[in-house]
Amino acid sequence: MTFSWRRMTAILFKDYKDFSRNMAVSVVIFMPPILAALYGRMGVDSLDAYYMVFNMTFAMVGAFVQSCLIAEEKEKNTLRGLMLSPANTAEILSGKSLLSFILTMVVIVVCAFLFDYYPQNVFITLIALTTSALFYIVLGTLVGLFAKSVMEASVYVLPVIGIFTFGSSITAFADKYPLLKVANYMPNAQLIEIATAVETGAGFGDILSNLSIILAWLVVFAVLTIAIYRKRMVD
Amino acid sequence: MSLQFINAEKRVNDTVVFPSFNLNVDTGKVIALYSSVNVREQLINLLLEKTRLSNGQILFSNTPEEIGFLFLDSGLYERLTVKETIQFSKRLYGTTIPVGETLRKIQLDSKQNVKINRLSHSEKKRVQLACLLIHNPFIYILEEPDQNLDLETKRIFISVLNELKIQKKSILILTGNLESAITSSDEVYRLDENGLHNVQIQEKTDGNEEQLEKNNELEEQATAVVQPVRFEKIPTKVNEKIVLFDPIEIDYIESNEGQSFLHIKGESFPSVFTLNDLEQRLLPFGFFRCHRSYIVNLQRVREVITWTRNSYSLVLEDAKKSTIPLSKTKMAELKEMLGL
Repeated sequence: MTFSWRRMTAILFKDYKDFSRNMAVSVVIFMPPILAALYGRMGVDSLDAYYMVFNMTFAMVGAFVQSCLIAEEKEKNTLRGLMLSPANTAEILSGKSLLSFILTMVVIVVCAFLFDYYPQNVFITLIALTTSALFYIVLGTLVGLFAKSVMEASVYVLPVIGIFTFGSSITAFADKYPLLKVANYMPNAQLIEIATAVETGAGFGDILSNLSIILAWLVVFAVLTIAIYRKRMVD
Repeated sequence: MSLQFINAEKRVNDTVVFPSFNLNVDTGKVIALYSSVNVREQLINLLLEKTRLSNGQILFSNTPEEIGFLFLDSGLYERLTVKETIQFSKRLYGTTIPVGETLRKIQLDSKQNVKINRLSHSEKKRVQLACLLIHNPFIYILEEPDQNLDLETKRIFISVLNELKIQKKSILILTGNLESAITSSDEVYRLDENGLHNVQIQEKTDGNEEQLEKNNELEEQATAVVQPVRFEKIPTKVNEKIVLFDPIEIDYIESNEGQSFLHIKGESFPSVFTLNDLEQRLLPFGFFRCHRSYIVNLQRVREVITWTRNSYSLVLEDAKKSTIPLSKTKMAELKEMLGL
């Protein structure tokens, strides 16, 4: 079956309307901007603070919204109808992912504006942010596959928020426990490294290694998600 | 573009769900399959190609353009409005059927901007039906379409079915409710572990009533004069239709406030005859008047229970293990019949 843009946008608009009327889930898009406004007014202007809010946006908006969109289809028994329609899995998932992606990027831009954060190299920063956003959306899809209801999804996503928002700060203990150096290879830590490098005027070549680590995370989780999807759909 | 079952047979482990049967759901026809929940679920899984037949085949193509389902438990997007839901279906299926016309058909045009979660159950089913109409496949599979529906929705449902018939669609209704099967379809079949059986329906229209009466008179005359082959089936009334049952299908007959009811496989059907008439008709088939208001099919009796010296009950071997009373005077008669 061929990929149909019409069906994908139909799903995108349907999910947008549904999402905008579901306050229990849509309230999360207001949290990062409020935090950003507070930090910005308090005079916090370290990159670490900016990116903690950005990473929180990724986990809360990207991963959480995506997992809820998928879990709700299962909970309300609407997935069967959707699967029997001409829309295939690629169209269903890309419609949903596109909504999560747009929401994430809008929230990030609003946060950056509230922080008065303007990176030295917008192009590189944008690429790094986009890659990260995609990774979190894949992560959200994975959570959505496991969760049977929105309530389950919101519980499963908590460790994701915890690890990927604050996880990078455990590197502070790396001197004492060398094992924690692993945390440096987390996608959120890598994103901060890219941002720091960009501020010192680094070019595209300098951040390539960091970017490829984030990309590796994305690929590994995408493969994992597809594998689990196939396994679950067989049952 | 029809749905054909050819020697379709399904067994699960060692039990037969349904033995081999042939059924052709032609275009422009509404066919109802009256069956248990197990058989219905098996059929739906087969049509969804989740499971396979043990033998034979089902001829249809499993593409969204070809076949559409109305599920019993399918959900709707609760926060969308009626109109948005139907528009979403239209964009998803890419059909050209106008939304406004469909809204009028299900008579929800006055509620088109109401969110789904504010509708009643019957109205939600109508929205579900509208999505199927927008989908516009060739074959319609309807699972328990009028379960728990209000009268208005049932009326709309039947008028939609008639319209689909004119459009030459093939419609298969899967239901466990014989009344629903009879009221909404042209042909009713019963499918169980004994196979596929036609449930005969006689359509009674207002104009024919006189003629029917005349026929009855003629029949009576005929029986009085030459005693031809006696008509064996027992008619019952379901809404506007007359359903004919084989005497051997009947478990027992009960009289309640002057009206006799045939009990068949756990369901009861009002009969037009009195208990005395039925007794006369059914005596040759091994029926027995066991109580002033009961006639029992002796073939179905499993047990005679003696409660006290002069109070007895008969236990039948039907699914519910129904017990029916046996009066003292009739006990002696029964003993005689059994040769005790």
